[in-house]
Amino acid sequence: MAIIEVSNLSKAYDGTTVVDGVSFDVAAGETFGIVGPNGAGKTTTVESVEGLRRPDEGSIQVLGLDPIRDRFEITQRVGAQLQESRIQDKIRVGEALELYASFYQDPADWRELLDRLGLGGKVDAKYSSLSGGQKQRLAVALALVGSPEVAILDELTTGLDPAARRSVWETIEQIKASGVTVVLVTHFMEEAERLCDRIMVMNHGRVVAIDSPAGLIGRIGSEQRLRFRPSAPIADEDFTALPEVVAVDHEGSQIVITGTGNVVHAVTALLAQRRVIAEELRIEQNNLEDAYLALTNQDATSITVEEEN
Amino acid sequence: MAATMQLTKVESKLFARDPIALFFGLVFPGLLLLVLGLFYPGFDEPAADLDGRRYIDVYAPVVLVLGLATLGLVTLPPILGTYRQFGILRRLRTTPVHPARLLTAQLVVHVGVAIAAALITILIAGFVFDVPFPQSPLWFALSFLLAATSIFAIGLLVGALARTTVAAQAIGMGIYFPMLFFAGVWVPRTVMSEGLLTVSDLTPLGSAVQALEDSWFGITPSATNLLVMLAYGVAIGAIAVRVFRWE
Repeated sequence: MAIIEVSNLSKAYDGTTVVDGVSFDVAAGETFGIVGPNGAGKTTTVESVEGLRRPDEGSIQVLGLDPIRDRFEITQRVGAQLQESRIQDKIRVGEALELYASFYQDPADWRELLDRLGLGGKVDAKYSSLSGGQKQRLAVALALVGSPEVAILDELTTGLDPAARRSVWETIEQIKASGVTVVLVTHFMEEAERLCDRIMVMNHGRVVAIDSPAGLIGRIGSEQRLRFRPSAPIADEDFTALPEVVAVDHEGSQIVITGTGNVVHAVTALLAQRRVIAEELRIEQNNLEDAYLALTNQDATSITVEEEN
Repeated sequence: MAATMQLTKVESKLFARDPIALFFGLVFPGLLLLVLGLFYPGFDEPAADLDGRRYIDVYAPVVLVLGLATLGLVTLPPILGTYRQFGILRRLRTTPVHPARLLTAQLVVHVGVAIAAALITILIAGFVFDVPFPQSPLWFALSFLLAATSIFAIGLLVGALARTTVAAQAIGMGIYFPMLFFAGVWVPRTVMSEGLLTVSDLTPLGSAVQALEDSWFGITPSATNLLVMLAYGVAIGAIAVRVFRWE
């Protein structure tokens, strides 16, 4: 069952269209990622789902409710962390949680929530004294304190160092495990690949693709690259004779073989047969970042072409 | 209601954690009266240019209004500016609690501090300088309430329009100092020229000082003074509510 249904959503500010006919569904318990370059319309999309923005066109249903018309019900059941949002500098962590808990009909046990997010020791710390990662984990705690069925997290890890980012990821994995449906806006493909069941790629206000991380990677081809330095000379033709091999290149003393299917096995078998050792062997596969760049660049190219016409 | 109470509780704690706001909002008016009364020569003796009254008698209501103006025009607007700039109001919009409740909480806190500051001032005036306690207490309370309403309405409007903390500070200060002049902080209203006095009466602070001074010494405040404050409170308050931006 779809928890969030967005159909043909459009929104313009001062005549500039930022979201243009976006449609997607998010299933119960799913973690749904939204990625795209700056200005792709990600934040406007999630803020429309939260009911902070009124769509110009299209319809949005969250938990069967209209985010604008059923405002109160939506705010009770959807928790949000806003991009670049903060709370009062001098408020203590415990006070903030207690305050936000008082807003909801059925709040979570905020002390238990803080412990779970690793902030149990920070109950009396002022907001301004928290590190970036702690502030973001507090933002997650505030988004979850109302026991929401849906949590919408917008650029939760932007500006965090790698260690803090990983600690926030663990937090999101905990939320997933507790059955909450998560919508995650991010710039980090590693984050999207690790956390999301499905990812929507946006560009110029439109949906470029919606698929699982593996599905998105698959769209740009399942090519693999082997990179190694042969211990003895071997002719390029010996590799190109293999049906799995698409191309053979040389980079300095290294050979780079691009291929499909079981190319790794075919090449290593050939090398073994010739008694050649593949030194410094590395196998590279397309990852989500390659897919993301290809999908969004492709779109950028087509836009340029349209403009030239 | 529970949320508004909780917000008020938290916002009053936050106010108490701001030493500058606490000093200027709560302590400064009484302290100023004390320092002037103790160290300014002749401040607590009958003065010829005040028709035999003492400067301390005339200055006590001025100090009360100074306290209100500091809270309403210097302390309140930057808090609202900060809450908007940092997205605190916006964040509240995603909860079941409307951000208007945060404004209500702020007004309750500021009015509470204003009343406490007034009490301190009145007690200092009474016990240290033998200024009688307000002789028409009901008129005095009404005058204080109207003064607070008109001044906080202006502060709310500044907070409603200013996008950032700094803008709110600048605009608030820009109104604060000229208003203090008309309130008679630097030149007592008693020695103002006829024309200047008329202008002063048309400002909320000028009317506030006159109404508080009258009721303090048992004279019924003039309808003009009360209506001027009421008009500012209602008109500017209504505009502030209409133009308030949550983000």
